[in-house]
Amino acid sequence: MADDNGRDETGFAEEELQVKVYDFRLLKRLLGFAAHYWYLFVLAAVLLFASTAADLARPYLIGVAIDDFIKEGDAASLGRTGMYFLLLVISGFIFNLLQIYVLSYAGQSIIFNIRQRLFEHMQKLPLSYFDKNPVGRLVTRVTNDTEALNEVYTNVLVTLLKDLAILAGVVVIMFRLDVTMTLVSLAIMPAVIALTVFFRRRIRKVYRNVRTSLARINAAISENISGMRVIQMFNREKENFERFDKTGREYYRAVMSEIVTFGLFRPAVEMMSYIALSLLIWFGGLEVLDGTLQFGILYAFVNYISMFFHPINDLAEKYNILQASMAAAERIFLILDTPAEEDSGMLSIPDDFRGEIEFRNVWFAYNEDDWVLRDVSFTVPAGKTVAIVGATGAGKTSIINLLSRLYEIQKGEILIDGINIRDIRKDDLRRLTGVVLQDVFLFSGKLKDNIRLNEESITDGKVQEAARYVNADEFISRLPNGYDTEVMERGSTFSAGQRQLLAFARALAFDPKILVLDEATSNIDTETEMLIQDALARLTRNRTTIVIAHRLSTIQHADRIIVLHKGRVRESGTHQELLAKRGMYYSLYQLQYQKQEPSFFQ
Amino acid sequence: MGVIFLLCVDTLQLIMPKILESATDSLEGGTLTRKSLAVHAAALLLVSVGIAVFRFLFRYTLYGVSRSIEHSFRNRLYAHLQKLSANYFNTHKTGDIMAHVTNDMNNVTMATGQGVIFAVDCLLMPAASLVMMLQTGGFRLTAASFAPILILGVLVFSYMKIMQSTVQRQQEAFSNLTEAARENFSGIRVIKSFVQEKHRTEHFERINEANRRANLRFTRLMSLMFPSVMLISSLSFVIALWYGGMLVIEGSVSLGGFVAFNSYLGMLIWPITALGWVANIFKRGSVSLGRINALMDEKPEIADRPGAVPLVIPGAANSAGKTKAIEFRNLTFSYPGSSEPVLKDISFSVDHGKTLAIVGRTGSGKSTLVNLIPRILPAPEGTLFIYGRDINDISLSSLRSNVGCVPQDTFLFSDTIRNNIDFYRGFSAEETEKAAKTARLYDDIMEFPRKFDTVVGERGVTLSGGQKQRTAIARAIIGSPPILILDDCLSAVDTRTEEAILRELKSIMEQRTCIIVSHRVSAVKDADEIIVLDEGRIIERGTHESLIGQKGYYHDLYTRQLLADEIEEAE
Repeated sequence: MADDNGRDETGFAEEELQVKVYDFRLLKRLLGFAAHYWYLFVLAAVLLFASTAADLARPYLIGVAIDDFIKEGDAASLGRTGMYFLLLVISGFIFNLLQIYVLSYAGQSIIFNIRQRLFEHMQKLPLSYFDKNPVGRLVTRVTNDTEALNEVYTNVLVTLLKDLAILAGVVVIMFRLDVTMTLVSLAIMPAVIALTVFFRRRIRKVYRNVRTSLARINAAISENISGMRVIQMFNREKENFERFDKTGREYYRAVMSEIVTFGLFRPAVEMMSYIALSLLIWFGGLEVLDGTLQFGILYAFVNYISMFFHPINDLAEKYNILQASMAAAERIFLILDTPAEEDSGMLSIPDDFRGEIEFRNVWFAYNEDDWVLRDVSFTVPAGKTVAIVGATGAGKTSIINLLSRLYEIQKGEILIDGINIRDIRKDDLRRLTGVVLQDVFLFSGKLKDNIRLNEESITDGKVQEAARYVNADEFISRLPNGYDTEVMERGSTFSAGQRQLLAFARALAFDPKILVLDEATSNIDTETEMLIQDALARLTRNRTTIVIAHRLSTIQHADRIIVLHKGRVRESGTHQELLAKRGMYYSLYQLQYQKQEPSFFQ
Repeated sequence: MGVIFLLCVDTLQLIMPKILESATDSLEGGTLTRKSLAVHAAALLLVSVGIAVFRFLFRYTLYGVSRSIEHSFRNRLYAHLQKLSANYFNTHKTGDIMAHVTNDMNNVTMATGQGVIFAVDCLLMPAASLVMMLQTGGFRLTAASFAPILILGVLVFSYMKIMQSTVQRQQEAFSNLTEAARENFSGIRVIKSFVQEKHRTEHFERINEANRRANLRFTRLMSLMFPSVMLISSLSFVIALWYGGMLVIEGSVSLGGFVAFNSYLGMLIWPITALGWVANIFKRGSVSLGRINALMDEKPEIADRPGAVPLVIPGAANSAGKTKAIEFRNLTFSYPGSSEPVLKDISFSVDHGKTLAIVGRTGSGKSTLVNLIPRILPAPEGTLFIYGRDINDISLSSLRSNVGCVPQDTFLFSDTIRNNIDFYRGFSAEETEKAAKTARLYDDIMEFPRKFDTVVGERGVTLSGGQKQRTAIARAIIGSPPILILDDCLSAVDTRTEEAILRELKSIMEQRTCIIVSHRVSAVKDADEIIVLDEGRIIERGTHESLIGQKGYYHDLYTRQLLADEIEEAE
């Protein structure tokens, strides 16, 4: 937990991978999510064009005002133009407001959908996926990464459209006003384009360097904090500081080159716009002198030119945002493309279900060829209890996972009432089998909801009944809010024994036909231990049960004991039979259970 | 320096409209000749080049300064972290500390960089523009067109206020979302077992929806704010156009003045809008600075006291068995904030060159005890002596360079194997190889693609638990430290490798003082003395033979392990 995982949880180390050239296919796929809201986008586009048009009309209006009214001294018309201008401003305001809102609404809804879809898909992924990926990383996918996509839909998409609209609009209006002047002002364009293309490449590189070195710093900090004890133990503070400083300096250099690049690009574009302006004044002024051009038009041109250069200035920044979003999109799609748990089962559970379990020559490995179970065969007759014992690493716990098909076996068959569990629908199979795990997971929320797990068919009365049956009612009733008590800090306020009882209640509330139980190994006080044993005896009555047993008392109550060793069934029989045999069970018994709980067995 | 450049940019920007004004006026007055037009255009160009150059310079210097402040600040913070004791890291989450070094640091950098620049811009530019407006447009025109901008300022500030609660709500919704996802993925096994996928999805949908609503609330505000800023600033223009136009018609303002006035007005609007934002940057920056300072003020619990002396170890083998290398005298230790001591009244000593073994259950205090020796944890005054000197009087660096430790949880850095063993102490390649051989790691390394230069960890080869432990052993024994501590360092290697390592280690252990912690009898049975810890107390002590004779915990452990070995070997 302290070393590699700590880094994983924060996800800093992988940050380095995320800088990638964006992919057209990704964009297409992202747009696919937007398709459902096409009408909103159309509406936004219309509003956008309207507000851009309002913006574009303004310099024109001022130009007209200057030429026709101010210079002519026509105060009345000037007032009218002022009104027009005001109207233009207000309508621009409304269009703009609506457009931003419509678009954010669409963006948020898309994000909502993607997030929901991602979440649903992740829930369907096989358990082995969760073994391989730390929770922190998975959470980041659902939260931050989806959030980053928002930029694509609202910021990038719109500004791109808006910028294009402005550029096109400006050019069209300028041409309509005066062709020569337009050509003069646009004379600088080839240089601007060349500049942008040149810088775009550099900016991409620089930006990538910054992100990579920042990720490196974060990884270094995280690693050094986790390894601080070792650093101090070996007196390596100075050397590690130097290494840290080196990483920091790399980042500093990357940032500085970013500053230089942007520092050159921005003023360079700005200078281009001033050159265009100078050209404009020079040529325009000449024409005004010649009387071929009105002053107001010249004024309008000056304004249009600055409007024209605005989008170009922003281009680089937009590009960066797009890249970050694309990286996020890639990670999200990677998960969406991971195949979900398969379910080929078609059969439902028959009504006359008895609950006999048979493992027939089962082979299982979490990782290829690293067999955890080897050729395991045993049967549990309907309504009986079988205890599985063995040393650590014997493969006991995996049996729980297999019966409810959280993992799939590689060879052999598992049968319930003679039906291969692969042919039963997974949902049905899992409803059939109640599972009590060693570490009891409690969700935030009320205690009663933790017992019924939001299953509405389980009433409050049933929850209480189940709790009473497994001896959990007593301690729950003593809580100030009883069954409505909120679970705090993942249930850490409850003792291990109490949590175990809650897990029993949960399993019982669902009234499973088959019970699979992994006993808690942790130390539990004697009083609670008695409650647990009593509950266990009731819980297993007339219910087919498999117990991964750690307690002698449980083992003794079992109808049959299976001794697992290194993935194989070594012995099986009743407690007395196996003791008499003086084989492996006898040794295990000596080793693990003999000294335990003397008060119970004397 | 950077501020001066910034001022140059601002001044030049203010000159710009003046040129336009003079050009317009001379055009209007008919005094404009081709020559003076060229002069105007050239002046415009010159000023623009000036702006570009100075803008680059100010960005470079000001941002540069803020970045080098960031760099040295981060270094100071990191250096400080290195001085804090294990207790600090035990009680503070890595994520929280990370947040200080990343987010908070970022906020401070924002404040010293963008914050300063915009602050200068926001205060200076409006003032200067206002003066210029007064000068070109006269008081009444200025006052009339400035009025909406004042409203704008007020508006932006009140927006910021409303925004705060909205942003807070937004952050809450987001952290709910994070928590919901976290809970779900942690409990996925329960969810799948009880077929709760649908319910959990519905549950998540509610939270997802709440998050969307909070975000929409925020965007509603934003979509109102930006256009209204535009609206009000445009109102200014309307006034300037209409009233200014009237004044031009009246003849009290020239057409050129009118044009310039409009330009100045344009310069005014942005900084006023940004004012609230700048205030925000500074606010965030100062909050973050406060948090960082709180961390910097954290006093290192373990540090050299004034007058600390280097550890002197009497050399030569003749002192073996005569000097007490390590001595615990009635030591009782408890972690801060906990009333229950972890170690109670511990007394024992290890003579120079001898080996002491510690056995006991998990949680009996073994690791705490050995962590006191390199002063990873602080021992109370007068309870722990190294070569006769109170550990608190010995300088940390001399103490730690004489103690080689293999901690219980091995930690490797994502670096080469060589660097992980050598750990930047500058040992030779032969020494590194020798240490690797002793730790039975050499053959494993030779199978790696780049031998000793193989990078381990997330971005390289993943080592098995046993390989990690053996790397940690190599790291501790290289350079032959006089005191060696092995804290349950063979738990992840199989019995056969354990025996091989122990055989190799034996020769090393004979020459130095050694403390070995283990669950396994095979690892401790040859020690000169064995102590058994239980709930922080020494409950048994003696040699292997005498402890077996006592028929207590150790004897029990021994017989159990014999049995376990038997089971292990059964096939």
